[in-house]
Amino acid sequence: MFWERLRHILPLRLRTLFRRSTVERELDDELQDHLEHQVAQFVGRGMSPGQARTEALKALGGVERRKEECRDARGMNAFDHLVRDARLAVRALSRNPGYTTVALVTLALGIGATTAIFTVVNGVLLRPLDYQDPSRLVVLKYRQSSTVAGANFLDFRSQSRSFEAVGAAEWWTPNVSDGVRPEELPGLHLSSDVLPMLGVAPLLGRVFTEEETHEGRNQVVVLSYEIWQRRFGGDSSAVGASLRMDGEPYQIIGVMPKGFRFAPFWATGARLWAPLVLDHRLTDRTGASLRVFARLKPGVTVEAADREMALITDRLGKEYPGTNPEGTAVPLMQMVVGDVRDALLVLFAAVGFVLLIACANVAHLQLLRAATREREFALRGALGASRSRLVQQSLVESVILAVSGGAIGLLVAWGGVRLLTELAPANLPRLEGLTIDPVVLLFVGGISLGATLLFGLAPAVAAARVNLHEPLKEGSRGSADSPRKRRVRGLLVGSEFALALMLLVGAGLVLRSFAARRGLDAGFQADGVFSAVIALRGTSHADRDRRAGFFEQVVDGVSQLPGVTGASAINHLPLHGDNWQFRFFVEGRPAVEPGKEPRAYFRVTRPGYFSTMGITMLAGRDFTRDDLASRAHLVIVNQSLARQQWPGESPLGRRLSVDNPATGADWFTVIGVTKDGRQAGWIDDVRGEMYFPNLDAPGPDDLVGSQSSFVSFLNPVNMTLVARTRGESMDLLKSVQAVVAAVDRDAPVTDVITMRQAVDEQFAEPRFYLTLLTGFALLAVTLAAIGIYGVMSYSVARRSQEIGIRLALGAGTRDAFGLIVGQGMRLAALGGLAGIIGALILSRYLRSLLFGVGPADPVTFLGVVVLLAVVALAAAAIPARRAARVNPLTALRSD
Amino acid sequence: MHGWGIGVRIGQLSGEVFQVNQGSLYPALMRMLRRGWIRAEWRVSEKRRKARYYSLTASGRRQLTRETETWERVAQAMNGVLRTRSAEG
Repeated sequence: MFWERLRHILPLRLRTLFRRSTVERELDDELQDHLEHQVAQFVGRGMSPGQARTEALKALGGVERRKEECRDARGMNAFDHLVRDARLAVRALSRNPGYTTVALVTLALGIGATTAIFTVVNGVLLRPLDYQDPSRLVVLKYRQSSTVAGANFLDFRSQSRSFEAVGAAEWWTPNVSDGVRPEELPGLHLSSDVLPMLGVAPLLGRVFTEEETHEGRNQVVVLSYEIWQRRFGGDSSAVGASLRMDGEPYQIIGVMPKGFRFAPFWATGARLWAPLVLDHRLTDRTGASLRVFARLKPGVTVEAADREMALITDRLGKEYPGTNPEGTAVPLMQMVVGDVRDALLVLFAAVGFVLLIACANVAHLQLLRAATREREFALRGALGASRSRLVQQSLVESVILAVSGGAIGLLVAWGGVRLLTELAPANLPRLEGLTIDPVVLLFVGGISLGATLLFGLAPAVAAARVNLHEPLKEGSRGSADSPRKRRVRGLLVGSEFALALMLLVGAGLVLRSFAARRGLDAGFQADGVFSAVIALRGTSHADRDRRAGFFEQVVDGVSQLPGVTGASAINHLPLHGDNWQFRFFVEGRPAVEPGKEPRAYFRVTRPGYFSTMGITMLAGRDFTRDDLASRAHLVIVNQSLARQQWPGESPLGRRLSVDNPATGADWFTVIGVTKDGRQAGWIDDVRGEMYFPNLDAPGPDDLVGSQSSFVSFLNPVNMTLVARTRGESMDLLKSVQAVVAAVDRDAPVTDVITMRQAVDEQFAEPRFYLTLLTGFALLAVTLAAIGIYGVMSYSVARRSQEIGIRLALGAGTRDAFGLIVGQGMRLAALGGLAGIIGALILSRYLRSLLFGVGPADPVTFLGVVVLLAVVALAAAAIPARRAARVNPLTALRSD
Repeated sequence: MHGWGIGVRIGQLSGEVFQVNQGSLYPALMRMLRRGWIRAEWRVSEKRRKARYYSLTASGRRQLTRETETWERVAQAMNGVLRTRSAEG
């Protein structure tokens, strides 16, 4: 029976919905027909046609009213009213363009900013990685360090039961020397399980097999889509072609699809992948250069895998003492975003505050408008509109405002995301592919709706409470400014203030942290230093006995260039380059438990490095050419190492060794002590650092972990050239390239950077967060100030009568001023108090962004309070001045 | 039958006791239409105007039976009460 009814009703309703005018005409026709019959009847009874018509209309009782009753009976009320309310709302809003614009702009900014940040949060933190079933991928590492040695990796793989695949990856930057200019490409050596583990099939060709991870069969490579496009023009004949890298021909066996990236962290720039050969490292447990990836077996949890890793490393640690600290398994996603999660969430919360303030402002505007429309509402109520209809109308208006604000906000968000992608530090993970996708759209819809509730509820309730009699009385100026209303407004403004204060505290803390960061001593003179990496692998100078000579020639050539005041070379540039640490042994000290030996950063430099970099030598001297020529075993240490190992005495003349003295030490004599400087990360604590001379030493190739003597490490195949110039250091590039090419045509000059850039790089991330937080805080303060200004203005307007009386009774203008300002400051103070408490509670969560400053830093809190007090004073003072200028006579007389 | 005709017919059948209030006729028809008890179709009336002609549906017929039963029960009860009263004088 229900379905029958539905069958009848549905077409009816749909018809009314879509063919409105037709339905209306039909109703009209029907009633006209009825009238004509009635007229005919009356005429039949003897009336004149005119009289008959009048009587017929009277009998019907008013055509319009009957039509309305029919419409009511038709039961399309709810939707009908909704459409009508919407039309009314749009008209009402467009009649007040000033108010509507302010409301829309406020909403658009709030919603837009929040959506933009959410897009970043979604793209970076929420979006799953672009592999098959990415939540099952984990990274195997040690708790304190991320890299693993070859033999340990092999044991992880053979001894674990939790994984269906375990693979390893290692940095690889091959020199590609076909074509015009030699180039160094970023890549990775991978064990054969890695690519299959990710579950992404190659676009062309295949990935490498286990056989190909052995010496002799390993010269195959898989290209990324980008390299394939760039070097082979996207030609499918690239598969099978040969690419000359590191002096050897590599066969291209496959191409990965567009957008494929591995690794998602640490080596995010890798664009080609070749097999990892561990043949010479099967027993190496000290050269930790591998990163290990694994896929969990179905049904195995990360916690179980983690526990197993701890057991395995414990076992290995006992079997090979000093080689395996506690191991762990970490979800891959966490390695990718772990560092930025906290910061991004802080930003998200901050922008959420801004949105709340924006909503409070709009709610305020709505309330003010509702107050001025009291008469209109009262009239409508008197004419028959029910209270629920009035409330509905008010809500519809809010919804329309929110939806329009949301739509504009989406545009703002789109622009904001573009801006963020430009400004974001390069190491913000997963920046590419940040788009406004369905999740974001859902979010915008959600917060628009939420915003509606927030600011639409108050005026709707006000509409419901409207007094139907008072406003209509002659001479009424609207209902009295009831205490309840004052309290609601006060609450709104107070909470705006509290939120703004919390944001300002956050921004202030981050600002002080930034200043503290900058305040750290670099240890060197960053300005005017040019650097570039010169990689010899695959060139004719790659032989051990030709390397040092090559670098000597290049350094000499560069130091003679015009404008160059000094040049030298180092194996790894501080801050920007790689960071190797070696354990060392001090002569004359008792043996230390394996695994607990002191470690220091390992640097290899040529003479003149310290003067070129502007590093102060605190004691002793730099290496000289004679030292290098005589292959003297010398070392220069930094202040920290000297203090650690030889506290209170001069380290000059003391000796240390990297090789274990028990098995035959190779002693190096300390000849100099340098001032401490930044090493790996700008804010990292300074550790011991040792500088060795660049000696050319014969011996097997210095592959990491190979069983070669330490001395061979002092003859690296890549070095970073540094040169101090008088002018703009970047201009040196072409000349340097010429100098290098003159010595060896195939040697690429890559990773060109000035030390100033290297230092600024370190500030990219903190600066990003600082800019955003400060921007939000300022926006919040502006909105809150507008809020207070609005409240005070309204209050003045409302109370002008009261003020007029006071003035007439003898109060000074200063008292009127003080009255308003006092009111404003009281609001600000209450809000401020709530804000301080909130800030104290919440600033804990900022810890990951702070440096050198505690979350309850009194200087910041004080500064913020003073700033806001001034703002509140200004915002209240302007309308207060208007109050002071009130003419008592006009105020008393006005309606 | 169209709206006017229905009004006339009710007057006829009830011996002019029930004069259909013209104002409430059409809304009532709309209500019944909404509940699916009658259906409407457009035809040209005697006055050469388009008018809606109404007819009962199956569920309308069922509703009629229900209402009739209810009415008869009420009428019976009413009679019973009144007869008793007059008997009591």
